[in-house]
Amino acid sequence: MLDRRQFLKLGGATAFASLFGGCDKVQRTLIPFVIPPENYTLGEALWYASVCSQCPAGCGIVVRVSEGRAKKIEGNPLHPVNRGKLCARGQAALQTLYHPERLSRPMKLSGARGSGTYAPISWEEALSLLMVPLKKVKAEAPASLLMLTEPMRGHAGLVAGRFMKAFGSKYRAAWDPFGADAMLSANAAVHGVRDLPEHDLANARYLLSFSGDFLETGISPVHYARAYGRMRGDRETIRGKFVHFGPRLSMTAAAADLFLPCTAGTEGIVALGIAHVMVRDRLTDASAVAGRLADDLFAYSPEAVERRTGVHAHDIAAIAEEFARNQPGIAIPGTGAATGPDGAFHCAAVALLNVLAGNVGKPGGVSFPNRAQAFAKYGPEAALLAPSPESGYAGMRDAIEKMRGGAFRMAILSGATNPAFTLPPSLKFGEALSKVPFVVAFASFLDETTSQADLVLPVPTALEAWGDDLAPVGHSGAVTLCQPVVNPFHDTRSVSDILIAAAKELGGEPAKALAWGSFRECIEKAYGGPGGEMEKALQRGGFFGESSSPRSAARTGNIALPKPAERPIDGDPKAFPLALHLYPSVTLYDGRGANLPWLQEMPDPVTTAVWRNWVEVNPKTAAGLGLADGDGVTVTSPSGKITAHVAINPGIASDVAAMPLGQGHTRYGKYANGRGENPITLLPAGETYALQATRVALTKTKLATRLVRFAHPEGQWKISNLM
Amino acid sequence: MNIKWAMAIDLDRCTGCGACVVACVAENNIPVVGEAEAEKGRLMQWLRVARYWDGEYPEAQAVYLPVPCMQCERAPCETVCPVYATYHNEDGLNAMVYNRCVGTRYCANNCPYSVRVFNWFDHKWEKPLDEQLSPDLTTRSRGVMEKCTFCIQRIRRAKETAALEGREIRDGESVPACVQTCPPGALLFGNLADPHSEIARKLKDPRRFRLMEHLGTEPKVVYLKRQKGAGR
Repeated sequence: MLDRRQFLKLGGATAFASLFGGCDKVQRTLIPFVIPPENYTLGEALWYASVCSQCPAGCGIVVRVSEGRAKKIEGNPLHPVNRGKLCARGQAALQTLYHPERLSRPMKLSGARGSGTYAPISWEEALSLLMVPLKKVKAEAPASLLMLTEPMRGHAGLVAGRFMKAFGSKYRAAWDPFGADAMLSANAAVHGVRDLPEHDLANARYLLSFSGDFLETGISPVHYARAYGRMRGDRETIRGKFVHFGPRLSMTAAAADLFLPCTAGTEGIVALGIAHVMVRDRLTDASAVAGRLADDLFAYSPEAVERRTGVHAHDIAAIAEEFARNQPGIAIPGTGAATGPDGAFHCAAVALLNVLAGNVGKPGGVSFPNRAQAFAKYGPEAALLAPSPESGYAGMRDAIEKMRGGAFRMAILSGATNPAFTLPPSLKFGEALSKVPFVVAFASFLDETTSQADLVLPVPTALEAWGDDLAPVGHSGAVTLCQPVVNPFHDTRSVSDILIAAAKELGGEPAKALAWGSFRECIEKAYGGPGGEMEKALQRGGFFGESSSPRSAARTGNIALPKPAERPIDGDPKAFPLALHLYPSVTLYDGRGANLPWLQEMPDPVTTAVWRNWVEVNPKTAAGLGLADGDGVTVTSPSGKITAHVAINPGIASDVAAMPLGQGHTRYGKYANGRGENPITLLPAGETYALQATRVALTKTKLATRLVRFAHPEGQWKISNLM
Repeated sequence: MNIKWAMAIDLDRCTGCGACVVACVAENNIPVVGEAEAEKGRLMQWLRVARYWDGEYPEAQAVYLPVPCMQCERAPCETVCPVYATYHNEDGLNAMVYNRCVGTRYCANNCPYSVRVFNWFDHKWEKPLDEQLSPDLTTRSRGVMEKCTFCIQRIRRAKETAALEGREIRDGESVPACVQTCPPGALLFGNLADPHSEIARKLKDPRRFRLMEHLGTEPKVVYLKRQKGAGR
């Protein structure tokens, strides 16, 4: 029989078993229901403001942080550039933070230089590996230090600039493959301001785009996409009209009311055709300019322009009249026009339209905000904090030349622009870099460039770092602050922090120039420190509400007609019948997004392709070459040869083959590697960096891979019902 | 207050940029399937931006059509589910109870808009990518159907906040991730039952239409046609 004592014993044992018996079964999934029961309180999340670094547009972000982990990025509603909006690349920036292939520890080369094999080391060892050669170079030949970065804005630029100056080397090259070189020189020639214009799309009634990519990858895609939406639908009685000229039906072109294909590399000539009609028919108020240009514009009659560009003369005349009569209107050049060998001409011709329309400095027109004003207190050093948004191609070529000549004993690499991937291979960047005895790279990922270093130091991502920024357009003079939104996920140190520490150890000039304890201290000193204004600004994301006075365009009466240089692009039209049109990828930008699975799996807006690149061809051209959609082709230019899959684009000029940039990595991790080949290898190494610089031939090839496209399942639906 | 959530998609503003797609993936713990599975049509994205070609060169045009779940008032998916995994909730949404789903895929088969996606596998988030997973909603396991929920976790949160403060939920207090991020402001979300809400006003626009209206599904995602020319 069971007595009372035994009963209790047994009962206890059962209770024990039932309590702890489940211990081996750990609950691994989250609570699996769509609607949790009543009273189930969800964890409270915190939002921290910072800046997106997926492209140089400088959008403000807020990051949702739950239990110490960043969960979601959204646009900062207070930020003047993007007002709460964010693009696909910005959304995906979260994956850089928790990327499996992110560098978590310092590494030193363990194999041959360039082999990309590294052994993890401690920070102490890494810093001594950095400091020993650095001290030696400083003592023996300070001018033989090279610093090669992406354009650095804000105090990060100040730290880098001061470090190099105090160190005694003037070789600081910054590389941005989509730098606005052509637009800068065009604006200097036409408006007398060597800076980026701010286009007030939201208040415009008419928009002319010349290969514009302002909705996808231009200078500030989210800023302009938001303004575009407002131009279309925010005004009670006005809907801005949008006309696009260009060789390819891009995502931006698809948004246009009217897409008029023109021959590749003739955007500026179309613009001059429009200018011709405006001057001829007295459609412009800028009569002084018109009078001066009338003779030179004579050659650009609509009929003459039609012969060269393929745009019908009556279209040019009609659009010139519409443009002139629907003011304010804006003419915008895009990457496709600006990155040809004649880019400066195209941009100047387009800028001329803005002058003729008389919209410079007016609402709904073009203005030139003064960027450097925000950092005026630094005097001549302000240029370090707000550098000119140019590509730095000349500086890169110079640096490569000098590297090859053995001028450098040490090189410091930093930034996401990956010159070994984004520069034409004929420049032989990699080979030149191998001539530098000691290369140290600051990076979050190994890529084609950083994997050639001797020492790789892991840096925090933009979500874990201090900093400040001034966006190229739409900033209204507001400086944005970056703060770590989460504790650094790995043991990383920022470039600025290491430079400050290195300067201290070097002593002398560098220590004096960089007299901060850390980069955070540098930022806090600059903005008034914790408490007070800076704390409020950190919460809001920056110092908003201050407005800078726009610079008036200096020169509007004294313009010469831009002259095309008529530099032919590479390749004999007989052997290479198609002009190669390269464009920044909507998802991968210059290639930095290629290691993020979210971006790889986002269908491209035009082709709906995922995970791979392609070459876009007109259906008739494809049929003439015996190519069907998805076929493999070899793309041959005088400089190189790659393979890709054909994607038929019904809206691309028949003498053009277009490819997106960003794919074709070989050393950027498993998500990026082996997804097509890099179209930059087709480019010649010219005087200026030009993406539209060569002609190509296509030949059918059997490929083992396939181009996966996200076709639309509801094929029975008729498009006529949508319009 | 009566609630009838609805979404307006203004095709005159949509640029097809795909920000909504990635925002949705980030918000809703949607797995990445990879190239091989994508080829089999097994992309898991809840929201797609369909692209249509119209006309021939040089008059060719591309038109973008973002397609989330239509949250039909008379939803064909609901009537065929043998286990009531998909049901109509009090706000008029087609909600999914993942635990009930047995994976017959009848609902996807019956959905005229092809917006439902099926978990053919237990999708893995390679560490530490799983650190990003939102704690507000679960990941779904193999054999379970899933689809756009209008970000029900956000609606839920806004309702709780409103209840705590003893008030009605405000217009614009809760918007799905896609609507929040849309750069040109093509997407609008709100309560159609509230005559003063922005969406109720917006949907008086004569440009409105719904996808496959003739099927009688009464979608709560309403499109606004593209306009032509300058002026209105």
